[in-house]
Amino acid sequence: ELAIYERMPDQLINNCFFSFILVTIIELERDGFSQNPFYHCLVAEVPETHKSTEGHTTVGYVLYYYTYSTWKGRCIYMEDLYVMPDFRERGIGKSLVASIAKVGTEQQCMHLQFSVLDWNKPSLDFYMSKGAQDLTAKEGWHLLRFDGVALIKLAQEAP
Amino acid sequence: MAHYKLRKAEPEDVTDILRLIKELAKIVEKEDQVMLTEKDLLEDGFGEHPFYHCIVAEVPAEQQKVEGYSVIGFAMYYFTYDPWIGKLLYLEDFFVMKEYRCLGIGSEILKNLSVTALKSGCHSMHFIVAQSNEASINFYKRRGALDLSLAEGWRLFRIDKQCLLNLSAEE
Repeated sequence: ELAIYERMPDQLINNCFFSFILVTIIELERDGFSQNPFYHCLVAEVPETHKSTEGHTTVGYVLYYYTYSTWKGRCIYMEDLYVMPDFRERGIGKSLVASIAKVGTEQQCMHLQFSVLDWNKPSLDFYMSKGAQDLTAKEGWHLLRFDGVALIKLAQEAP
Repeated sequence: MAHYKLRKAEPEDVTDILRLIKELAKIVEKEDQVMLTEKDLLEDGFGEHPFYHCIVAEVPAEQQKVEGYSVIGFAMYYFTYDPWIGKLLYLEDFFVMKEYRCLGIGSEILKNLSVTALKSGCHSMHFIVAQSNEASINFYKRRGALDLSLAEGWRLFRIDKQCLLNLSAEE
């Protein structure tokens, strides 16, 4: 659901878009619930009596992991935050963010980082109201990626 | 041509790693913002569940251009997660002392990291670069990197510790 929101906010669902999501349930289980997990997750759950029209009681989540700053040390990174549309405007999103802030402070993290798409005004406004700084605007940081063919080519040049 | 080797950092390297971190911070005039100590680096990088991994570039004693320093470059990285594609390698810091630049050491470090990424089952390697650092951006783009901030509109945000404390009190 979050993938649809991020890629096509005002358009109809395009079936071919789902090919972007490669992770399977098996991989999510392996990568998040082993002895050395690659991610952690908090979910928002409603009672059975308040479940969604499709019957879901898990209505939101925040996925995060620990990172490291060479200047400050341990940090926490919020990778995904999502609440189903029918459950918005009830403070669930704010609770999820507050929960991850609590995890971060308990784990002695120096800051929380995350990325937001530049068109996502509701999220931008929310985070700025909580004291977030836009490092891309303020300090010019850009996120770069080597993936797929580019990563393989880079590796093949290694001795 | 300098002879050097790339190797996994050992606990004894934390002194050199911190020296290089501070040297890099000095270039951007932020040396006073480096709060990490050798003790932090030791605990956080060489314990049971390390927060980071590090490779260093080392030259033999007879090749030292700066007396007393054989560790002349480093790259610090860790593993992150994209729920669409799975594991990623995130390159946090990457630095070669100025006396050893233009010898291909930076390129070798990058290649070494890409091999590590693929062997670890990662689909992608991510990192951030300041927009003003055109030399680095061109270095990475020449090797196939994509600027996600330009291409997809991603902006990086940070909430500092005090605001985190305030937020957690709102739970």
